[in-house]
Amino acid sequence: MADNDEVLLRVEHLCQYFKGNKAVDDVSFEIKKGEVFGIVGESGCGKTTTGRSIIRLYDITSGNVYFKGVRIAAGTRSYKENIKNAKATMGEGAKAYIEDQKALMAEAKRDHRKAKKLKAEDGKQKFITKIQMIFQDPIASLDPRMTVEQIIAEGLVIKGEKDKKLIEQKVYDVLERVGLVREHAGRYPHEFSGGQRQRIGVARAIIMDPELIIADEPVSALDVSIQAQVINLLDDLRHQMGLTIMFIAHDLSVVKYFSDRIGVMYYGKMVELATSDELFAHPLHPYTKSLLSAIPLPDPEYEKNRKRIVYDPLKAHDYSVEKPEFVEITPGHFVMGSPSEIASYKQELENS
Amino acid sequence: MEKKLSVKNLVVSFRTPGGKVQAVRNISFDLNKGETLSIVGESGSGKSVTSKAILGILAGNSIIEGGSILYDGMDLLKIGEDEFYHIRGDRIAMIFQDPLSSLNPIMRIGKQLTEAMLLKGKAHNNYCARNYNEKYAEATKAIVDSGLMSQAEAEKLSDDAKKAQLGAVKRELTYNAAHENAVEAADEIEDILFHIEKNAFTDRKYTIRELIKLSEGAKDESVVSDAAKLDEVLGKLKSVYKAEIKENKDYPGVVSALNELSALMKEALGRKTPDFYSEAGVSREPVENFRKALEKACEHSGAKYLELKKQAVAVIDENRHVFEADVLNKVDTDAAGSKLKAAISASIDPMEIHKDGLAYTFAGNLDGNLKTYFEGIIKNKKAEKEHDKQQKKYDSLVARGKTPTWEVIPSAAVDLDVIKDTILLLIDRVKEHYEELIATFDQRNYAVEAEHFVEYLQENARGMSEKVTKEIAKYRALKLMEEVGISDVRKRYYQYPFEFSGGMRQRIVIAIALAANPDILICDEPTTALDVTIQAQILELINKIKRERNLSIIFITHDLGVVANMADRIAVMYAGKIVEVGTASDVFYSPAHPYTWALLSAMPDTETNERLEAIPGTPPNMIYPPVGDAFADRNKYALKVDFKKQPPMFKISDTHSAATWLLHPDAPHVDPPKAVTDRIERMKKKREEGETNG
Repeated sequence: MADNDEVLLRVEHLCQYFKGNKAVDDVSFEIKKGEVFGIVGESGCGKTTTGRSIIRLYDITSGNVYFKGVRIAAGTRSYKENIKNAKATMGEGAKAYIEDQKALMAEAKRDHRKAKKLKAEDGKQKFITKIQMIFQDPIASLDPRMTVEQIIAEGLVIKGEKDKKLIEQKVYDVLERVGLVREHAGRYPHEFSGGQRQRIGVARAIIMDPELIIADEPVSALDVSIQAQVINLLDDLRHQMGLTIMFIAHDLSVVKYFSDRIGVMYYGKMVELATSDELFAHPLHPYTKSLLSAIPLPDPEYEKNRKRIVYDPLKAHDYSVEKPEFVEITPGHFVMGSPSEIASYKQELENS
Repeated sequence: MEKKLSVKNLVVSFRTPGGKVQAVRNISFDLNKGETLSIVGESGSGKSVTSKAILGILAGNSIIEGGSILYDGMDLLKIGEDEFYHIRGDRIAMIFQDPLSSLNPIMRIGKQLTEAMLLKGKAHNNYCARNYNEKYAEATKAIVDSGLMSQAEAEKLSDDAKKAQLGAVKRELTYNAAHENAVEAADEIEDILFHIEKNAFTDRKYTIRELIKLSEGAKDESVVSDAAKLDEVLGKLKSVYKAEIKENKDYPGVVSALNELSALMKEALGRKTPDFYSEAGVSREPVENFRKALEKACEHSGAKYLELKKQAVAVIDENRHVFEADVLNKVDTDAAGSKLKAAISASIDPMEIHKDGLAYTFAGNLDGNLKTYFEGIIKNKKAEKEHDKQQKKYDSLVARGKTPTWEVIPSAAVDLDVIKDTILLLIDRVKEHYEELIATFDQRNYAVEAEHFVEYLQENARGMSEKVTKEIAKYRALKLMEEVGISDVRKRYYQYPFEFSGGMRQRIVIAIALAANPDILICDEPTTALDVTIQAQILELINKIKRERNLSIIFITHDLGVVANMADRIAVMYAGKIVEVGTASDVFYSPAHPYTWALLSAMPDTETNERLEAIPGTPPNMIYPPVGDAFADRNKYALKVDFKKQPPMFKISDTHSAATWLLHPDAPHVDPPKAVTDRIERMKKKREEGETNG
């Protein structure tokens, strides 16, 4: 799948604070072209915020987001903090350093503004519209007063497309692509079932011909049977259009089935990142272990005897002396831990 | 096994602008005591409608066309709103699907949690007191009836037994409170010590104060008996904790005081449970005598009512033909009906603890059905118009030489023939039930029955003596909030619902449902909005409470993984019908219905690599219910007969049955899809490996 190493999206030290509440705290990862990157974690751990920060629904606090090598979002808080620290500790000699930081901050701000206006290669579309999002709630995310055609075509209209015939044709194309029919174009969202509504959400995203789709819990509001339909649809589209998908979900079986690589988040931090097979075969971080032990399986005998591993950060770690770091333990397998923990994880990998 | 709830031939429809929607089409199931029944199906399959019918909270446009739901000698479809007040939330509680709309936005969480406890606490006291006194009166009467002793003697015996029992129960309650406090205090001490050691001791003032309160509550002659020592240790703790908390050091004084306290608690918890009768200073003798008398009384009344039951069966045989007529005659049926009602009401044995639902509800049900038969349902113009439209559509299809794949639903909510059948079914069911009782009469064990009777009285005595004050309610609410995984409970207690995230709100809803300590718990997709860790936690909590309180649970969900964890038995629903029912291992290890196969293969697990087999299409529109099997259109294994005729339930084993023509002896043999068989194989192998390893 992801044979090439071309990095499509790179997130560096992303932080998103809401009034001192660290929703996302120092998260870094890369998404390669053509792969499905899954993010899992419990509610409130910052998975959705990460996704939304990437498409700039929020202005990020600090860190950088690069899409195809272009910095599309940059935060300034880290520079401000550096300057503050320097003023307090370094005294006179800090002048040059502070100037340096100020220049970097100005550049970040400039890039941040510039990315808004940047055009994509074809010169028409904005660069940032190459990233599209599919939302969790198929009912709340569609305007009830717009027809399906209006909803799907809205992106094209905003882009400046005026040729009505072309818009119509494109809408019909994507409708068929997502498994709906032309007749559906004139209807309103309330006339559709949950699965069909989610298909409309997918159609709206792919009509902009995106390269990266951020799918924020696209199937968690759907029934099992419909869920399989939508997952199969996303899988087909991904192969047909060469899409890269960032798949945010809390259902681990679905994420395992659909993703190439998985990142596990806990309280705003990324605690483990590996290919999906590796993560399920050799989970290292105690939180990942507890998460995997909680997956419900359709096997009553197994379920009745299941031992759930409970994760309590206070009991599991002692970070009073050593600070944890996000370390690559084997190629492609990252885990968060203090140096002594990393050593024990390595031991564990060798033993297994 | 004791049946807690039994749903029989339930039919529910909804009147909508588009026509009549048949949401539930003739389903029957039983819920036994202490078991979890899972209802699985897609949205729109009628699972939520069924559960709402049980609670009597169906939407205004619903029509209950037939059936009965028997619970504790009542038919929940027939009883009024007044009676439902005593059932809803108190004895049958529900965890709702949507946490947004099931909490009151302008009430603090704490108030919402304790409201039910306070209101229901009082109601529960009264309810238990009524039961208690009634049962004692009935027992006294039965003892006198049996000729064992005179009225005065029997009254004295039961009064003495009452006094002794209440005394012991009071002592038991105080002991339980103290013991619980000691357990809590021991946990709290361990927690505080752990946090101090990890340098993460926050929220100090609260926790220490709470601990002191708990420890003082544990003072009891059979728990922490050395009150002086306890006071001394607590005094030490009080004197050091304020100073040390201010200085924010390693809390040496607090730690040493806590260790002393911990030793005290551990000693207290190591003791044996005392005998409450001797501790309360009352003799056990009167209760024993009463029990012995009861044994005789039970035997006597059993024999007496057996005769009456035999008579009732005879009356049924005599009068049944009146209801078999093509057109019922009001005068005849009224006469026969009152005879039947009198015979059956007379044959109910008051010494039975578990109310006989069929006999108790017979009179009301018969009256209700006769009333609908003779008065008919008031005609609804709108529904008739819709019906005409459908009929026209149907006729035009037939005129063009096509065969419609759906049937026209009659406009009237009730069909007279159906009511007549229902009445006959009602009579037959009682008769069958009585014949069974008469046949198994020899197997009755009166000693056990008397034992149960005394236990029942004891339980009610507990219920009437247990007072819920505001303080207790708050304490319990905080504990419940902790149990459902909410942190920082003391702050959260005073917050409003909008300050909670979706998952947190769902947990509050669960806590509210559990607070009332119900008899039956209905969970309508309780964990669908939660993530796996919390889901596992909540399911464990529900399972724990089920074990502790011997709760019966109806668990509605579409997530098969969750079902595997929770269910003892599973009913798979599709388009308003139960298509497969069996124990959890029946349904998961040898599924028989194509819809169950489809559900199982549409769900990925952690080892699925092949493409998922989605179920094509959507469930049928129930305004136009299909003539044949409702699932036929989406079913790749459908036979021709599936499109023409609805399959009956085929029995596979005693516990397992499914409604599919594939089980008919003439049907071709079809294997389940590969994804399903593979998974079953894999699970089997994994289990065997686990067994050899462990």
